Amino acid sequence: MKDISVRVFRYNPETDEQPHYQHYQVKIREGARVLHVLHAIHDEHDPTLSYRYCCGSGQCGSCAVRANGEPVLACTKEAQDGMTIDPLDLPVQKDLMVDMEPYLAEIPSLEPGSEILVPTQDEVDAIKPLRSCIECLACVSACPALKVIDFAGPTAMRENMRLALDPRDIPDRVTEAVCQGLFTCTSCQACWKVCPKDIQIPGKAIEKLRALANRKGLTLPRHQSVEKLVRETGRSVDRIGTSFLEQVPEVLEPYGEVKGTVGFFVGCMYNMRLPQTALDAMEVLRRNGIRVIIPKEQVCCGSPLIRTGQIGYLETLQRRNIEAFVSRGIDVVLTMCAGCGSTLKNDYECPFRVMDINELLLKFEIEPPARLPVKATYHDPCHLMRGQGIRAEPRELISRVVDLVEMPSVCCGSGGGVRSGVPEEAAALAENRRKEIEKTGADIVISSCPFCEYHIMEHTDRPVKNIATVLLEGYREKDKKKVREDWS
Amino acid sequence: MHSDDVRTAHVLVIGSGGAGVRAAIEASEYGETLLVSKTLAGKGGCTTMAEGGYNAVLREQDSCEIHFEDTLNGGAWLNDPELVQILVKEAPDRIHDLLRWGAVFDVTGSCQVAQRPFGGQRFPRTCYAGDRTGHEMMLTLIDRLNATGVRVVNEVTIISLLKDGERVNGAAGLDQKGNLSIFLADSIVLATGGGTKIYDISTNSSSGTGDGYSLGYSAGAELIDMEQVQFHPTGAVFPYDARGRLVTEAVRGEGGILKNALGERFMGRYDPDRMELSTRDVVSRAIATEIMEGRGTKNGGVYLDVTHLPHSQVETRLPVMLEQFLQFGVDIREEPMEVAPTAHHIMGGLRITAHGETTVPGLYACGEVAGGVHGANRLGGNALADTQVFGKRAGEAAGKVKVRQNRANPIQIEAIQKQLESFLHGDVSPSAVVRSLQIAMWEGAGIFRNSADLEKTLGVIEHLGTLRLKAATPANFAECCIARHMLACATLVVQGALLRKESRGAHVRRDITQAWDGRGSPYGHTYQSRSRQGIETAVKP
Repeated sequence: MKDISVRVFRYNPETDEQPHYQHYQVKIREGARVLHVLHAIHDEHDPTLSYRYCCGSGQCGSCAVRANGEPVLACTKEAQDGMTIDPLDLPVQKDLMVDMEPYLAEIPSLEPGSEILVPTQDEVDAIKPLRSCIECLACVSACPALKVIDFAGPTAMRENMRLALDPRDIPDRVTEAVCQGLFTCTSCQACWKVCPKDIQIPGKAIEKLRALANRKGLTLPRHQSVEKLVRETGRSVDRIGTSFLEQVPEVLEPYGEVKGTVGFFVGCMYNMRLPQTALDAMEVLRRNGIRVIIPKEQVCCGSPLIRTGQIGYLETLQRRNIEAFVSRGIDVVLTMCAGCGSTLKNDYECPFRVMDINELLLKFEIEPPARLPVKATYHDPCHLMRGQGIRAEPRELISRVVDLVEMPSVCCGSGGGVRSGVPEEAAALAENRRKEIEKTGADIVISSCPFCEYHIMEHTDRPVKNIATVLLEGYREKDKKKVREDWS
Repeated sequence: MHSDDVRTAHVLVIGSGGAGVRAAIEASEYGETLLVSKTLAGKGGCTTMAEGGYNAVLREQDSCEIHFEDTLNGGAWLNDPELVQILVKEAPDRIHDLLRWGAVFDVTGSCQVAQRPFGGQRFPRTCYAGDRTGHEMMLTLIDRLNATGVRVVNEVTIISLLKDGERVNGAAGLDQKGNLSIFLADSIVLATGGGTKIYDISTNSSSGTGDGYSLGYSAGAELIDMEQVQFHPTGAVFPYDARGRLVTEAVRGEGGILKNALGERFMGRYDPDRMELSTRDVVSRAIATEIMEGRGTKNGGVYLDVTHLPHSQVETRLPVMLEQFLQFGVDIREEPMEVAPTAHHIMGGLRITAHGETTVPGLYACGEVAGGVHGANRLGGNALADTQVFGKRAGEAAGKVKVRQNRANPIQIEAIQKQLESFLHGDVSPSAVVRSLQIAMWEGAGIFRNSADLEKTLGVIEHLGTLRLKAATPANFAECCIARHMLACATLVVQGALLRKESRGAHVRRDITQAWDGRGSPYGHTYQSRSRQGIETAVKP
C-alpha cells in the first residue's frame, strides 16, 4: 500500500454556487487505477463523491474522466500521486458525472431492410476498426469543433461511416453526416489520440465520409476550387508574389563544414504565403552545417485534398513528389510545414525518411543562439503534435532562445479545410486561442506550422513567429553582440 | 420525500443487459413498454463484458441433439431439460435476429458466421465477434431498442417489487439523487443479471449485485439451485484491485495452454481427454488445486499461454485481451498471462416455465436471474444465447398478459419510505458491510465447500444483516438497498449450498462422499422461497 494525494473536481449544482477542487490523501495498492482511487475516496473518506462506473475493465465506457486534463477511462488509467481528476468537458450533473445521454442519442442507429444479409468477410474487416467504440465520449470531450459549432461529434461520424459500410443499413448516411457537421472537423486528431480503443476517427471515418460525399457532389464549393487549383497549378494556394522556390538555388550550401544533407519539401503555404519564414529556416540550416537540396518540380503534398475527401488527383501528386526526391538520391526529406510533414509520414509510402525541422535541428548539435529578452508562448500545431508526435522538440528549441510560457494545446481552427469551408468556425476557434494567448501574458506567439501561423496572426495582436525565425533572431542578436564586443 | 413520481406501462422490464433489452424489444410489440436500468442502458450488466461467444447450431455437421447433450453433460444433468431444448433449438433463430439488426459477427470466407471451439462442446459452435462478442450484441440490441417505442429510464435502481394481492403490479426505484419513483405495470420482466459481486473476486460489473434474486424472493418467488455458482477458471490476478477481471475462455478456445509454476501442462492430470477445453467447473478446480498444493505463481495464479500462437491470431481474435494485458505491462504475444479462478455466473435463480413465468403471477424472469437452463455448470457461450432465447420468450409472454388497472398500495410505499429514512440514522457504511460479505463468501462459500464453513458464513451474513446501514445523504439510499440485496443473495447461495448434500457441477462439498455422478444423482433442484425450502428428488428421464 502507498499513500497518494489527488485533487478532485467537486460540484453539486443543487448546493454549490461554484465548482471547487477537493484534496484527498488515499491509500492505494500497486497498479491501482484512477477508479480505485475514486472507490477509496468514496468508501473511506467521502461517500458523497459521485462518479460513474460499471465494468471496471475498459469495456463499457461509463467511467471516462479527465486525468491531468486528458480524457481517460478511470478503470484503465494508472493512478499517480498528485493527479487532478476532472469530469469530461461536458455538462456536469454532479462531481465527475456528466450528462452523457444527449450525446449518446446523437449516435445513429442501424436501420435494416427486410432482407437478412450476412456481411462479407471484407465488409466485416472494413467495419471492425470502427466497431470497437465503447461510447465513453472521451472524443466528444476532446473535440474542439463541437464546442463552437453545431457538430454531432467524432463518434457519431464514426458510426455514420460504419453504417455506410454496412450492406444491411438503408438510409443515406453520407448526406446525414454532412447535415450533422461532417465538414466542421478540423482534422486535429484530438479524438483519435484520446480514444481508449485507438479508433482513428479522422482518417478512417471523417476523411472517408468526405470522400463518399465528394462522389455524391456534396463537397463544399470552396474545397472544390482548391482541388481545381491543385490540378491546374500543382499548388493549393494562388500566386500573390515571388515564391520561395523562385528565390533559392537548387542547392544551398552551408556556411561551414557540411554535417549533413537533406532534401527540402517546402509546401504550398511557405512557398507562396510565408516565403520569408522558409528563407529564415534555410539560414538557420546553413549556419548549422546542413546542405539543403531543393527540387523545384515538387508540388502540393495533397493534404488539402485528403482532408476534404477529394482524392482523385492524389496519386499524381504523390508520384511527382516522391520522384522529385528519389531522382536526386535524397534519403532524408525535411519538412517545416506540420501538415506536409504529417501527410508525407502518414499518407505516403516514401522510400526516404521524412523529418520535421524540429527533429532535425535537435538531432544536430546546433549552434547556441543568444537569449532574447522575450516571453513567448507556443501553439502546438495539431499535425505536428498529434500527427507526428512532436511535442518536446519545439519546446526544447524555443527554450534556448526565449522564456516559454505554456498554454493548453488546442486546435486553432485552420486545418481540415475549415478555414476555407467553415470560416466562422475557424474564426471562433482562433478567438479561443487569442484568449489563451492573452492569459499567458506572452509578448509573442511561436508555432511551427504555416496554417496555424497564418491563421492565428489574423486573430491576435501579438507577433506570431515560426521557431526558425526566432532561432535566427537569436543568431542575429549573437552576431550583433559579437560585433559590439569586437569593437569594444 | 415525495413519491408522486408514478409511471405506468403495460410491461415493465427491469435490467438493461442482453436479456432485458431483448425482452423489451419483444414486449414492445404488445403494448407500452418501460425499461428501467440501474446504469446507462447498454453500458451496465455483464452482456457487454462477455467476450468469448454465443453458442448456436448453424452447421449441418452439428445438431441440436449434440448441443442439448453437451449442455446437460456440462450442467451435471441438473438442467431443466425442457429449457435446454428451447435454448438449443432457438439460439440459431435469435442470432439471426441479431444479424438482421446489424450485428457484426466474424464470418467465414463463405459468408457464414464463424465459430470457434469452447469448453465441454463436441463441435466448435461458439459464434463470436473477436473477443468482444457481448459488446457487439449490446450495440446491436440498443440500436434495435432505439427503433422501438420502448421508454428507457436510465440510472434508476429498483429497490422493491410492489404487489396487489398475489400478483406483482409494479416496482419502486431510486434515482441518483435518492428520489423515489414508482412504476406500475400489468407484467414485470426481471432481467437484472447475476450476483457474483457477493464474492471478493468476481468478473461481474458493478451491477452484478444479485438484486433480482432478492427482489424476486421478497416478492414471494421460488428460486432454484442458488448454490450453483460458476467460478470461471481464468480471472486476472494482477493488479490487485482489478483481480478477477475476466480472461475469456476464447483464449483457450484459440489454443491457449495452462501451465503451473513448474512449467507443467497440468490439465493432463484432471481431464486428459479435453485438457484446457474441459468444462469450467473442472478447469477451475484444477487451477485451484494446483495453487493450493503450492504449484502456483508468486501472484497466486497459474500461467495461461498463447505465445505459441501466431501474433496475427492473437491480434485479430483476442484484441481485447491483448489490449487489457498491455495496459498492465504484459504483452501476451510474448509472455504468458497469470490467471486464477474468479466468481462468474450464478446458474441458479428464479424458477421459470418455458415462457419465463416465475411462481409469482405477473412476474417473469430471463437471463442470469432465472434458474434451470444451465444446471450445475454453464457452458461457455450458452449465457449469451440464453439472454436472447429467454429474453424474447419472457418479453413475449409478459406482453401478452391482460391489461389491468394498477394502483400502488400506499402501505407498501410507506414501508419503503420508512425503511429509506432509517438509513439516514444508521451507523455502518454499506461499503464496509459489502466488503465483509465479499471476504466471508470467498472464504466460506467458494469453490470447495463444507458444512462447517457454510454455517459459519451464514452466521456472518446474519450478523451483517443486523447492522444499521448508514446513508450519508439520500443519494446513498440505493447503495444501502443494494447492500441488503447482496446479503439476501448471499444467504440464498449459502442456504442452497447447505441444502445440497452432494457434489454436483460447480458445487463441491468436501465433507460429503457420494457414490454417484451428476446423471445418477438422487437429487434434483434445491428450492427456496419465503414459504418453503428443500431439495427435490431427481426425476429420471
